[in-house]
Amino acid sequence: MTTLTLDVRDVTKRFGDGETAVTAVRGVTLAVDPGEVVLIMGPSGSGKTTLLSMMGALLRPTSGSIHLDGTEISALSEARLPAIRLRQFGFIFQDFNLLSALSVRENVALVAELAGLSGRAARDKASALLTELGLGERLDFLPEKLSGGEKQRVAIARALINDPTLILADEPTANLDSKIGHEIMRLLRRIAKDQGRSVVIVSHDQRIRDIADRVLWLEDGAFKDMVTMATDPVCGMAVERERVVSGSRDGETYFFCSNGCRAEFLAADGQGPRNWIRAASALISRHTTPTGGRRGRD
Amino acid sequence: MSAAWVLARRNLAGNRVRLLVSVGSVALALSLTIAFDAIFAGVANQLTKYVDRAGADVWVAQAGVRNLHMVASWLPASVTGAVNAVDGVAEVTPILYSTDTIAAGNDRAVAYVIGLPADAAMGMPWNVVDGADRPGPGEVIVDRGFASKAGVSIGDDVTVLGGEARVVGLSSGTASLVNSVAFVSFEDFQTMRGGAPVVSFVLVRVVSGASPQEVAAEIERVVPGVTAQSRAAFAVEERRLVMDMSADVIAIVNAVGFAVGLAVVALTVYVATLARRREYGALKALGAHNRFLYGVVLSQAVLSVALGFVVGLAFTELISLAIAGTDLNLELAISAPSLAKVGLFAAVIAGLAAILPIRQIASLDPAVVFRKGAAL
Repeated sequence: MTTLTLDVRDVTKRFGDGETAVTAVRGVTLAVDPGEVVLIMGPSGSGKTTLLSMMGALLRPTSGSIHLDGTEISALSEARLPAIRLRQFGFIFQDFNLLSALSVRENVALVAELAGLSGRAARDKASALLTELGLGERLDFLPEKLSGGEKQRVAIARALINDPTLILADEPTANLDSKIGHEIMRLLRRIAKDQGRSVVIVSHDQRIRDIADRVLWLEDGAFKDMVTMATDPVCGMAVERERVVSGSRDGETYFFCSNGCRAEFLAADGQGPRNWIRAASALISRHTTPTGGRRGRD
Repeated sequence: MSAAWVLARRNLAGNRVRLLVSVGSVALALSLTIAFDAIFAGVANQLTKYVDRAGADVWVAQAGVRNLHMVASWLPASVTGAVNAVDGVAEVTPILYSTDTIAAGNDRAVAYVIGLPADAAMGMPWNVVDGADRPGPGEVIVDRGFASKAGVSIGDDVTVLGGEARVVGLSSGTASLVNSVAFVSFEDFQTMRGGAPVVSFVLVRVVSGASPQEVAAEIERVVPGVTAQSRAAFAVEERRLVMDMSADVIAIVNAVGFAVGLAVVALTVYVATLARRREYGALKALGAHNRFLYGVVLSQAVLSVALGFVVGLAFTELISLAIAGTDLNLELAISAPSLAKVGLFAAVIAGLAAILPIRQIASLDPAVVFRKGAAL
């Protein structure tokens, strides 16, 4: 039997008390295999970040448990969590969060030093990893001199430097253009498959769903049943096909976030579809069952 | 070099303007303290210069008199012979001494007035730049700084000890910020003070190889009604008196320097920490312990203060050199105890300045890194 990398069991997170209490995550269960890439999508305020924070041992669940490599990290004392985060997790942030005063190499080496590696060994390891990720020519650059894609690759190197079991990525493509975003995601997938590390990604970006082994839809703090998504051809917003207005043109059905977008689209009939984003429907997720065990597979 | 130290150094260097303001302000605050200490130490040095340069190994005074400044010492003239007879004494010079004012026209200046015997072996001006090196009857040797300021020169008359005396010599190095030393003949001094057969101090040169302390002790044992001290001990007493007199002023200036330094470093370290709050949050999320982050903040404070201390010291040294090149009767004497005190000040400033930012980091939620656009 394969040991799960991450096992989230019936986790709920509530903020506040009494009438003002807000439940950000309710009864979420999720299991992630070694080497698996899981993409969690959902609208703003759906609880994605709260769930990611709990999975990363940054936030304690109100109820339920989170196990990493068989250890219940949600039950560990605060004093033990930094060491877990340092050695077991690799974090990738939307804003990169590189230390602006340190060079590329120092940014990565610092995390290795925090984990106990000597300064020289940490720098050597960081140099090797960054070179592997195509940043060999940028080792002594400050982050401000890098492009968005390069910054995110530095962040990935930083996430990998301590050989983590699980990589947690928060909107990793949000500040990148489409091409670079895709490159970054393919890099993450390659890392997951080649090195057997699990990757959990939280994102709004539908363009990256093809690199995921599994795509989950989180809404109102819980994973939803199967949802079919489409892209509004006018504004580009991701919309649920079952809940929004639609319209047909040239024998194809399109879905819109509002009647305004629909009217604008239809009014442009005859001008050709070249100015519009072609509708793209996608099966996003199947809901997980409320019982334990392996869940959430397409 | 530890990672915390490297990060602190880079954080500081990353914002040159902030670094400049922080280090400059600390330097100025500490420089204020160092300079003030140095001015008082310089004045003390100047006030003891006559004691140091008079050539005496032992100073004999009226019983209980242990220094020169603001005292009156009167001994029977017979004490001179009694002291001369003590074992270990090679030669003696009695002098008369009083604090008085020298006036020339509308210019008046406080002076130590020394009455010198014609055959004095000690106690004379040690650097006469113009004229005679020993005053005769009706004559006076004054500091050239005073002469220049009062517009008098060799042959002019000045008022001293209530009578007129003709300037016959100009000495150098005999003035301080607060007074100068003037030399008149022993007889004139005695006459102007009523002719009593007294001396103020007996200056003693000990025989070769003898210990001034032991000779001083022997003088006190043999000659009744006197206090005898080695030159070094006498100078220490003089210096202590000056520093004791200025202790309150020095304490106030030190407190001001300390407060300004503390405020500046605390503010700059706090602002620097605030500006990098998200980065500290990211480090926490990545697994950095609080103690590492505290180390970064404390290192920043220590670095700012250490740099400020060095710059402040260099600045004070420069001022000291600049003043030495002027005609001002001012000497800045930077002493090791003063540097140790200011260094301690600086260390305390660094420690206190780091408290607020450390509290800020302690309360920082690492999950803050996931909050987009959150006010950090």
